[in-house]
Amino acid sequence: MSRLAKLAVLASFTGVLAAAGAAEPDHLTADQMAKAVKSDSISIPTPGELFVALGKSAKINWSGQYRGPMPVTYSNRAQIALNLGGLIADGFIAVEAKDSQQVKNIGSDIIKLAKALGVSEKLLSRGSTINEFAENNEWDTLQEELEATQNEVKAAMQSHADQDLVILVTLGGWIRGTQVVTAAIVQNYDDRGARVLRQPALVRLMQSKISEISPELRGEPLVKDVTQQLGEIEKLVSFPPDKPPTADEVRKVNQAVGKVMTEIESKEPAK
Amino acid sequence: MKLWVPIFVWIVLLASSVPVRAQTDAEVSARKDALDIAGAFANDGFKIRDGHWCGAIKPHDRAIVAVNLYAGNQYWFSAGATEPVKKIAVSVYDEAGKQVSTEGYDNGDKAAAGFSPANSGQYFVSVDVLEGEQGTFCLVYSYK
Repeated sequence: MSRLAKLAVLASFTGVLAAAGAAEPDHLTADQMAKAVKSDSISIPTPGELFVALGKSAKINWSGQYRGPMPVTYSNRAQIALNLGGLIADGFIAVEAKDSQQVKNIGSDIIKLAKALGVSEKLLSRGSTINEFAENNEWDTLQEELEATQNEVKAAMQSHADQDLVILVTLGGWIRGTQVVTAAIVQNYDDRGARVLRQPALVRLMQSKISEISPELRGEPLVKDVTQQLGEIEKLVSFPPDKPPTADEVRKVNQAVGKVMTEIESKEPAK
Repeated sequence: MKLWVPIFVWIVLLASSVPVRAQTDAEVSARKDALDIAGAFANDGFKIRDGHWCGAIKPHDRAIVAVNLYAGNQYWFSAGATEPVKKIAVSVYDEAGKQVSTEGYDNGDKAAAGFSPANSGQYFVSVDVLEGEQGTFCLVYSYK
């Protein structure tokens, strides 16, 4: 679509605003809501979406949220998947920090971890694209590219009959993203920023997706442990809609996700 | 942003999202229409999610997807549909199922709804056929 055509499309919106606002509000039935499609690719937000929302409320020291280099030599596939998700979240942090070298470092680690899962061939070109965008400071594009990379990893997992690992990548990203966001809020509490933490349905959705994976994978000590702790985390992020969490409540979420993240990062998987 | 960048991203998005199953030609066409609308918002700083949701849609049987949104962000949900669907609508509902007030765009078989949630949490997005017969639709969303 040409730039002019895009502007024409945008211009046509103002004419229907009033109509949309004036219509009688509709309601969905409980059955309709229960049967609504819930998919990994559209129902679960990216860490980047979470970071953008947090960045609206305050200036965040994103580079202060970096963590040290992580091992890329795990042998347990569930642990690799969880860490891959966390690493992709780290990529979104580096994009928010507008740190091209960090983006490149993380891009390289993503490829290494993906290689350990046998899904790296197509990703090699993605890695060079990430580097190119980082060098050119194309931050908006990098954010979309990171999500595309994550989806390509998941697609490759599905084609390698590793579809059960997909939700673990998503979960690892959410845990790391929530760890970073809660740490930033604890450092400089602001109730507008704290509002982003209310996501009980999102945690329930991830729990429900985990319940669909194979009993063998679900029974692995690390997966079992993370799943159990997710139940506790769901309670911690179940705030009333009109009441942002207090600094103390945010700290409790941070401690809970920090504990899970430590287990995920550990070189020795949980026994 | 240079003009080639959104074009490149658009191509990447079409080529790379998670293929749970092979997309039909109708789904590819509907998705292209949805991305056309979303592309207009990209000029206004909205980032297009790589994920999408495509499927069959028929009159009086709305398609509904759950989404999880963050307070502070602005969202646009853009949908396209293929013949014989003539006219569609996109609506947003809160976690209790109550329709929320949205900005709207309506252009026959393409439509979009813009929304800025005051509360984080689960919302539902529906795509309805207002005119026409059963066809294929695709929904994408963007945020800033």
